[in-house]
Amino acid sequence: MRLNSLYRCLSPKIPTTHLNIRRFLSLGPEEYQRQSEIFISEQKRQRESLGRIEKIDIQYEGPPENCNFVMNKNISTPYDCAKHLGEKFKNGSVVALLNKNHLWHMHKPLPDSCILELLHYQIPNPHVVNKVFWRTCSFLLGAVVSDAFKENVEVHLHSFPSPSVKSGSFVYDVQLNLDNWDPTKTELKVLSLEFIKFCQKEQTIEYLDVDKNIALEIFKNNPHKTKQIPDIAAHNGDKITLFKVGPHIDISRGPMLPNTNHLGRVTVTNVIKLNTDIEGSPVYRFQGVALPKVINLNHFAYGLIEERGKILNAGRIPNDHGTLNEDNSFVAQVN
Amino acid sequence: MNQAEVTKLISQLKISPPTRLRKFRTPRGPEGRLDTLRKTVTALVKHERLELNRARALEARMYTERLISDAIRYGDCHKTTMEMADYWLIEKQLVHKLFKVLVPRFENYNIACTRIFYVPRNMTDPRYSKAVLELRGNPYPSLVRDTSSNKNLIHNILLEEAKKAYRTKKYAEIAAKIDAVESTVGLENPTTTESDGNK
Repeated sequence: MRLNSLYRCLSPKIPTTHLNIRRFLSLGPEEYQRQSEIFISEQKRQRESLGRIEKIDIQYEGPPENCNFVMNKNISTPYDCAKHLGEKFKNGSVVALLNKNHLWHMHKPLPDSCILELLHYQIPNPHVVNKVFWRTCSFLLGAVVSDAFKENVEVHLHSFPSPSVKSGSFVYDVQLNLDNWDPTKTELKVLSLEFIKFCQKEQTIEYLDVDKNIALEIFKNNPHKTKQIPDIAAHNGDKITLFKVGPHIDISRGPMLPNTNHLGRVTVTNVIKLNTDIEGSPVYRFQGVALPKVINLNHFAYGLIEERGKILNAGRIPNDHGTLNEDNSFVAQVN
Repeated sequence: MNQAEVTKLISQLKISPPTRLRKFRTPRGPEGRLDTLRKTVTALVKHERLELNRARALEARMYTERLISDAIRYGDCHKTTMEMADYWLIEKQLVHKLFKVLVPRFENYNIACTRIFYVPRNMTDPRYSKAVLELRGNPYPSLVRDTSSNKNLIHNILLEEAKKAYRTKKYAEIAAKIDAVESTVGLENPTTTESDGNK
């Protein structure tokens, strides 16, 4: 999927020298395939290394009734438990809460016996759920942006700041080799449509913990992620948490939504050029707003939210001199 | 001469009644139609929430609204109202409920005292479209989720932020206007004093 409208508008501005490096871009089907192959083989290796299957006792608390599940250690996920509860819980649960204090991705295998709760969008205090939703939106925006442009536009995903619903929009910072690109309304609309189409594929969001070296191998063509990985690994016990949706893989602390079909209305509201000291091409901040499918809002109210989403997000602007906090966002170094 | 306006003769309902009444197929004609509706109205006053066929629910709703609004308007010492209550409520103990329970409940309502929800159609058998008819203020758990009062829901947070952004924009505009007025006033004064000095 390439945006013809985007291409038409942008192609005159693109210097011809960039066309030569097309082969080395971090995107395109070959790159996606290479990344996926590494991801899948590592996933397979981890599954096979489990050995003898042990049973764990999961104590489920919540509607329709409290019950106990006997599940497989390091194989069963909260999603498997939700399957036993019914379709409503299978499709509506956003994130699992273990032992009442630990958020857990729905597709992440459970390592031990625990108390399990499943959270959804309409719980009395959905602060954490909103954060998970917003983080996933950022992650998916990265997936959409990396596939939306023509092949002669060089796209390097940088990072996204810690998700904050109060900032009014979710964000992904992306390096593009376009000078002074000011997106038109049509281009934003096309991006939004790409986003919606991407969500309609109903892809599961997979989870994998990998070693630093494997992560470096996966992101070897992305200069920013390659720089970030050692920092993240140092704070995370030499492990990198990866999430995969469709062919797209990204680093994030998580947790994320279990599936892209949770998203209802989605809009890419604005793309703003940032002032940073990152080398190379300019960095653009892609912003968007979204609502879960279960929350219905009339178009006028949603229009207000969209208008608000056009203002530059106050999230941390990435630069060359910063370390990463656990949420894959940059924090200035304090000496 | 002094004819009363026809529309003011009966109390105005808070729902919009249809222009035509629905016919129900009964062998006993219009009387049979009212008999079926009497059963529904009685059951609604008794149970406060019913699942019905959509047409029956919409029709019974009008008669219930009329009955309750008359009861509120005229009270229990009005002969005609009492006769109507006697006709519509087959179980006579419900007449007491109408005047002693429902009238105090709905006296100060600005909205209709009944509420209707369309039940999603069953795709395997789409002939019957159902609806749920209920009296407001019933003791059952709500059928719809309350999405407006919880400020922590994601859309409410986003709307709140949109409101804040709009307000700051407006305040900035007002401040700019005041500054502009003050600056023009400030410019005028020195010129006048200078001209005075020159004189």
